[in-house]
Amino acid sequence: MRRRLLLLAGAAALAAVAFSGDRFWLQFLGKAMIGCILAIGLDLLVGFTGLVSLAHSAFFGLAAYALAGLTNGLGLTSPLATLPLCLGAAAAAALIIGWLSLRATGVYFIMVTLAFTQMLYYFFNDAPSLGGSDGLYVQARPVDSRLAAYLAIWASLIAVYLLLSQMLRAPYGRVLEGIRGNEQRMRSLGFPTRRYKLVAFVIAGATAGLAGYLDATLYGFVTPAQLGWRQSGLILVTVLLGGKGTLYGPAFGALLLAFIEHYGEQVTEHWNALIAALVIAVVLFLPRGLAGLLQGRPRG
Amino acid sequence: MSLSLFALQLVNGVEYGLLLFLVASGLTLVFGVLGVLNFAHGSFYMLGAYLAFWISERTGSLWLAILLGVPAMVLIGLLVERLAISRLYARDHLSQVLLTYGLVLLFNELQRALWGNEVHGVSTPGALSFTVPLGAQTWPAWRAFTSFSCILLALGMRQVVLKTRFGMRVRAGASNAEMVEALGIDVRRLFSILFCAGTALAGLAGMLAAPLTTVYPGMGESVLILSFVVVVIGGIGSIKGAFFGALLVALADTFGKVLLPGFASAMVYAVMAAVLLWRPRGLLGAAPEGR
Amino acid sequence: MAEALIETRGLTRRFGALAAVDGVSLSFEKGRLHAVIGPNGAGKSTFLNLLSGELRASAGRVLLGGADVTRAPPDRLSRLGVGRAYQTANLFPELSCGDCVWLAAQSRLPSSMHFFRPAERYSQVGVRAARALEACGLGQRSAAIAGQLSYGEQRQLEIAMVLATDPVLLLLDEPLAGLGHDEALRVVALLREVARGRTAILVEHDMDAVFSISDSVTVLVDGRVLVSGKPEEIRRSTAVRDAYLGGDFA
Repeated sequence: MRRRLLLLAGAAALAAVAFSGDRFWLQFLGKAMIGCILAIGLDLLVGFTGLVSLAHSAFFGLAAYALAGLTNGLGLTSPLATLPLCLGAAAAAALIIGWLSLRATGVYFIMVTLAFTQMLYYFFNDAPSLGGSDGLYVQARPVDSRLAAYLAIWASLIAVYLLLSQMLRAPYGRVLEGIRGNEQRMRSLGFPTRRYKLVAFVIAGATAGLAGYLDATLYGFVTPAQLGWRQSGLILVTVLLGGKGTLYGPAFGALLLAFIEHYGEQVTEHWNALIAALVIAVVLFLPRGLAGLLQGRPRG
Repeated sequence: MSLSLFALQLVNGVEYGLLLFLVASGLTLVFGVLGVLNFAHGSFYMLGAYLAFWISERTGSLWLAILLGVPAMVLIGLLVERLAISRLYARDHLSQVLLTYGLVLLFNELQRALWGNEVHGVSTPGALSFTVPLGAQTWPAWRAFTSFSCILLALGMRQVVLKTRFGMRVRAGASNAEMVEALGIDVRRLFSILFCAGTALAGLAGMLAAPLTTVYPGMGESVLILSFVVVVIGGIGSIKGAFFGALLVALADTFGKVLLPGFASAMVYAVMAAVLLWRPRGLLGAAPEGR
Repeated sequence: MAEALIETRGLTRRFGALAAVDGVSLSFEKGRLHAVIGPNGAGKSTFLNLLSGELRASAGRVLLGGADVTRAPPDRLSRLGVGRAYQTANLFPELSCGDCVWLAAQSRLPSSMHFFRPAERYSQVGVRAARALEACGLGQRSAAIAGQLSYGEQRQLEIAMVLATDPVLLLLDEPLAGLGHDEALRVVALLREVARGRTAILVEHDMDAVFSISDSVTVLVDGRVLVSGKPEEIRRSTAVRDAYLGGDFA
C-alpha cells in the first residue's frame, strides 16, 4: 500500500512538472522517463524471466532510426501511422533476434544478444546513407512541442508500467516466474518454455522500441551511439541499481542514474569513474538494489 | 582478387587470428574454469598496449617494455582477481556482467587520466624493423615475430594443459570445479594463477600489437567483443576451440573487409550467429546432455 | 493380458563406451504400479530419464499408448500425461508451496498465454492445486516457502506437484530416499493413494515399500533386464538374490 502511494505521488510529481513549462526540466525528465521505460522493459526479461539480454538498446535504436526513416524518407509524421510501424519494426526484430538467441542458454544467450546488438550498431554506424556515425536529424517529428512530447512520454511510462504489472499477475506472469526459478522443472511440468521466453523477449523489445520512438521525438535526432553493448550495459545498471524483479525499482534506478549522470558531469570530468564505483558497489554490497532496501527482510 | 592479394589477406588474417587467440585463450579459461564472464578482459589488452607505449617511450626499448610489462600485467591481474573477480565466483550472470562492466568504465577512466585521448605510435625494435619479401608483397619482420610468438605460446599452452599436473587440474576445473575443490586441491590458488595468466596473455597481445595498430583509447573494446565471439564459437573453456575460432573470426573479418567493405564489421557476428544455430554450444563446446 | 500403457523396445542409452541402459524391452500394464529395482549402477535412473524425455535414447523405442514418443521432449511428454517426480529437490525454492503446486496445476490449461486476467481468477486451476496439496498432507502449509520445508515435506510437495498435473503415468524416482522410518511410511501410504487408478513406475531401493505396494517388479542389472514378474516371484528368485549379493531381502 505504501509502495502504491509512493508511485502515485511520483507519477503526479512528474505530471506536475509539465505545467511548469521549464525547458530544462521537461527535456531532462523527459529523457529520464525514457530511461524508466527502458528499465521496466528490461526488468521483464532480467528480473522476471531470468534472461540477461544485452540487445535492449538495439531495439531502442532501431525504432528511433525507423522513425527518422519514415519522416525523412516517406514524409510520414502522424503518430497514428509512425508509432505502430516503429513498434512493429522493433517487435519484428525482437522476434527474429529472440528466436535465434534463445536457441542458446546461459552465458551463450548473453553472448548472442551481445553479437546481435553489435551487428545492428555497426549496421547503422557504417552506413553513410543512414548518417553514419554522425546520425540523422528527424526532420519532422510526430509531436511538435516539447510539452506534448513530455506528456506523451509520461503517458507511455504509466501505460507500460500498468500493462506489464497486469501481465505479470496473469497466468503468463506465473510462467515467467517459474522459468526464472527452475526452467527445467517447468519443462517437465509441460510448459514449452522457449515459447514463453520468446514472447517476453518480444514484449521487452517492443517497449524498448517505444522508448526509442519517444526519444527520437523528444530530441529530433538519432545516432548509433544509442545502440551497442555499452548502452545496454547502462540499462542493466539501472535495473540492478533499482532492484530487479520489481518493475518499479528499475524505474527509480533509471531516474537516479539520470541525476547522477547529469550532476556528475558538472562535478568532475571523470564522472564515469563515479558511475563505475557505484556499479561495483551495488553489485558487491547491494545486490537487491534500492527496492531491496525498501523491502527490508528478504522474502523467504 | 589476385593471388598475391589473396595471399596477403590470408597472412593478415592468420596474424590477426593468432593475436586474437592470445586474448581469447585467457578469456575462455576464465570463463570455463572460474565460471566468470569477464567484460574487463579487453581492458587488459589495452593496458598492455599502453604499458608498452609508456615504457618503450621512456626507455627507448620495446623489448624492455615487454620484459617489464608482462610481470606488471600479472600483478594487475592478481589485484583485480583478489579484490573483485573472486567475489563473483558462484554469483549470477547479471552480477558478473555488471561488475566487470564497472571495471571497464574504471579502466577507461584510468587510461584517460594517465595517458589522455591521443593516439600514440610505438616503434618496433630496431632489430626487427626490416621486411621479408613474400612473392610480390613484403612481410614486416615484427609481424612475423608476433605470429611466431603466438604459435609458440599456443604450443606451450597445449603442453601445459595436456602434459602437466597443473594442466590436469585446469582441465578438471573446466569440467567440474566443485569436484576439484572436493578433492582438496587449492581452488583459490588455481583460480588466481589462471586469472593472472589470462591477464598476462591479453596484455602481451596488446604489447605485441602496439606497433601494428597504434595505441588508442577504446582499443580494448573491439578486441573484447571479438574475443567473446571467438569463445562462443570455439566453446567455453576450450583452448583448442579458441585457437580455431580465432582464426575463423580473424579470417572472416579480414576477408570481409576486402570483399564486402560495407558489411565487414557485421559479418563476424553473422558468422557467430550461424555457428550457434548449427551448434548451440559452440564448435568444440560440450554437447548439451539429452535435450 | 491387460493393455500396456507404456512399453519400451530395445531401449538403449550409451555414455561413450558405457551402455547405462542396454536393450531394455519392457511392457508396463495400465493401471498397475510397477517397481524397477536393481543394484547401484543398474541404470534405473537413466531408464526413468529416458521415459521422461530428459535423456535422448541412443537406440530403441518408447511407445506411449501405442504412439512412438522416443524423440518427444519432456514438455510434450508431460502434456501427454507423463508425470515425473524427482529424487533430489527439484522445486521452485523461492516460491510458496501453494505457488509451486499452482504452476503444476496451471500447466493443464490449454495455454498459459493469458495476459490480462489475474491468475487467481482461474478457479479451476486453484481447485486442482488445492486438492493436490490437500491429498499430499500439505493443506496447512500452502504459504510455507518451498526451499525452507523439511526433507520429508519437500517430498510431499514433489508428489503434490506431479499430482496437480493429473498424470496418466507416474514416474517416481526414489521417493523414499533419505527419509526416516515414520516419514517413509507416510509417503508409502501417500503413494498407494496417489497411484490408485493410474499407472506408475517406481524406482526404489526400499524393499519393504516395493514389495508392499507394487503389482509387478522388474530387476535391472548392468542396464539389462534380469527378470520381471510378480513381487513374490522376484522375492523368491535366486538369480535376483545373487545379483544383490545377498542383499537386504531374503
